[in-house]
Amino acid sequence: MTTEPMQAVREFIVGRNPALDHLSDDLDLIDSRAINSLAFVEFIFLLEELTGEPIDPEDLDLDDFRTLSALNARFFKEEAAR
Amino acid sequence: MATREIEPVVLDLNRLENLAESGYYNPYSMFDWPDTIEPGLPWMSESLTTLAGTEMWDELTREQQIALTKYEAINFFSLNIHGIRELLNEVVMRIHERTYADVSEFLHHFIGEENEHMWFFAQFCLRYGGRLYPAQPTLKADSVEHLSPVARELIVFARILIFEEIVDYYNAHMATDQSLPHIAREINRVHHQDESRHVAFGRMIFTNLLAQVSRRDPDEVPAVAEYLENYLQYSIATLYNPAAYRDADIPDALALRRRALEHPARAEAHEQVLKRTRKFLSKAGVGRELIK
Repeated sequence: MTTEPMQAVREFIVGRNPALDHLSDDLDLIDSRAINSLAFVEFIFLLEELTGEPIDPEDLDLDDFRTLSALNARFFKEEAAR
Repeated sequence: MATREIEPVVLDLNRLENLAESGYYNPYSMFDWPDTIEPGLPWMSESLTTLAGTEMWDELTREQQIALTKYEAINFFSLNIHGIRELLNEVVMRIHERTYADVSEFLHHFIGEENEHMWFFAQFCLRYGGRLYPAQPTLKADSVEHLSPVARELIVFARILIFEEIVDYYNAHMATDQSLPHIAREINRVHHQDESRHVAFGRMIFTNLLAQVSRRDPDEVPAVAEYLENYLQYSIATLYNPAAYRDADIPDALALRRRALEHPARAEAHEQVLKRTRKFLSKAGVGRELIK
């Protein structure tokens, strides 16, 4: 695993969307289909691995997954502050 | 849902309907459910577990290996249950639509049989495993919104077909695996028997709808091929459930899953599982070679 978690998140998205020329922090990953429903499970597993915390599939807020900024705030900010 | 853009689906299903009628059985009374599974026996074929053929399997203790067959059997049957729920939803909503009037008779058999499969898979999981694994999280926003209505309709039946073909690869093998407990073998055998009709139907309806997509806009076929290839990969990945590794007392489940999915021996195993389906898709003109 990459040491910088957001870098691993970026690599996952770019790896699955080679045509994506620029991945900005506020691109809507869901509306743009950069993360579609087939990739979503893998993405959850990646986040679980990076954070070391389980994600309850029945307690997901889609807005936490919409942009890189939202992902960073939801999954990695608290960790960095600790 | 089907729209007016989709032409009526007309298929010659007499043979499949006759087979469904003549082979009809009562699932609620046909299985002899033992109180427990004999200890020490694998619940699914060892060669079909997600670590088979890798050093990760060899590194497990025998107890972990048997536990993995147990929890991956529960995962496999749970995936069946969730897959059936999804496909029943789709088919029930279409059964009296004009588009499907000609195939409605067979769809009644299909729905009835799938409901029965869901029952016996759940019986096995709940009686012997005490649980089902939950369905994988999904996004409400769908990954087919970029496709035309007829292509989306094709995708509905393609997902059913692909799911059934993958499952059938496992069922066919386990139906005759003498190392398994009798009840596990029986469930796989009975399912395999019914699914051969469903796969035959699935291929016919797939071919019909693909022809409609192609007539409307041949340029859309590569986009469908790309979706289907992604769906094949997705389906294979669902077999690798970290919860099953954890339940089998195997540490570092997520990293293990990642390593297993990338392992060359597993890539070869995936090719074998998907071989028949990929051959069908390529022959139908919508194989992965079309992906731009």
